[in-house]
Amino acid sequence: MIELLTPSRATILQRANPAFKLVLFIVLFLVTVQTRSIDFAINQAAVYTLLLFILGGFPVRKTLLIVLPFMLLFISSSSTMILFGKGDTLWWQWGLVRITEESFYRGIHLGFRSIAFAAEGLLFVSTTPSVKLFYALMQSFRLAPRYAYSFMASIRLLPMVWEEFLIRRQALQVRGARIRGKGLKGLAEHIRMYAVPLLSQSIRRAHRVAVAMEAKQFEGQGGRERTYFYPSRICWIDGIVLMLLVLASFAAYAAALHFPWLGITDVRYHA
Amino acid sequence: MNHALTMEKRKGLRLSDLLVTILLSLVIGVVYHFWGSVYDLFKPLFFQADELVYGVWFLAPTLAMLLIRKPGVAILAEVAAAHVEIMFGSEWGIQLVLYSLVQGLAAELIFAVFRYRSFRMGTAAFAGAAAALGSLLVDVYYGYVTDYTLWMMLFKYALRIVSSAILAGYLAFALAKALEATGVTQLLRPVSKRDYEALDHD
Repeated sequence: MIELLTPSRATILQRANPAFKLVLFIVLFLVTVQTRSIDFAINQAAVYTLLLFILGGFPVRKTLLIVLPFMLLFISSSSTMILFGKGDTLWWQWGLVRITEESFYRGIHLGFRSIAFAAEGLLFVSTTPSVKLFYALMQSFRLAPRYAYSFMASIRLLPMVWEEFLIRRQALQVRGARIRGKGLKGLAEHIRMYAVPLLSQSIRRAHRVAVAMEAKQFEGQGGRERTYFYPSRICWIDGIVLMLLVLASFAAYAAALHFPWLGITDVRYHA
Repeated sequence: MNHALTMEKRKGLRLSDLLVTILLSLVIGVVYHFWGSVYDLFKPLFFQADELVYGVWFLAPTLAMLLIRKPGVAILAEVAAAHVEIMFGSEWGIQLVLYSLVQGLAAELIFAVFRYRSFRMGTAAFAGAAAALGSLLVDVYYGYVTDYTLWMMLFKYALRIVSSAILAGYLAFALAKALEATGVTQLLRPVSKRDYEALDHD
């Protein structure tokens, strides 16, 4: 899964400071959350998807593969609102389903906004390795080292849990253990056979690793004296990234103002 | 024993608490990731039937809190579980972090109201329901759910709250009990001075 998301090209976004980039993307995210205009939402979806192709660092074909589920995302996030949203101009009614003009556009808006979120998120994720992010958070934002190292260590431990899951399954197969019962009973049986041993084992392992890390002062109080193997600084590349992303979202906004698709500035219901 | 006692004095989360919480939550986060398909399976059952299994997405904060029993664990657990979604590059990535913050905080508040002393099934069920309410709060802001027709909104969220109380409350409690039976919780909550004193009184 994680290998799948390792980009093949080095783009400018990958060279930017992860902590700075995180702040930048949170701001972009908040802008998208605040969007009430349908045109701005459509443009944002388009711009960020385009950026994903250019700056994501994947080959085009792989990006297409990543973008493909956006359609499902669009349908799943817009359908309920289209079918059951409030509205006055009735288009179609069948039983409980009531499609109105307002609910239709609100649904479309939600769909495009979800795509914008997804593209923003993927743009960040595909260009930011977790380890670098936590190093940057420790150094730039004074995140307590014990939090950062706990995350980093846990991420490394996760594949072991997966391995244990496979071993457990094989062991159960060898012993001829079968899940009895269907539905809820089967689910309870699954939990008993898998969740309890896997969780208890991972608790034990996490505790062991933590004791070792404490002995090595990983939780140390940090402060200015602490040195880091990977120094993380803010440099001119971050300025370029900042300008690039601000420009992208500004372009989406300006285009929505001057060349509106549908011209609905607030999709919320007003009685 | 001396070591355990000096550790007891230091309040707050130690590295081992953090590591256990985060690893546990990451494992549950992987379940969260694949739970999406289970959620989709329930969809055709009946209208909004998918809400019936929504509660699993609030499992991390209650389970972690029932095991570790320290302030701040619930919110950390939910955020860490959401982090899996970012690692896997899910299209829900960033929004889920926002959701997880509010949901974790809501669950945390319930435990805080009981001053981190009550870890019974009822408390866990309340915390699960609170997390569901937290998700409603974000939904209102983010997905305009108040613009659904009224019956639809009530039905949807009533199902979700019930599901959360059962899955994030009862199921988490049962899991915590099962884990306690394996003895791992002795690592997390070593006997304290108070426990020894309690023995003297008998």
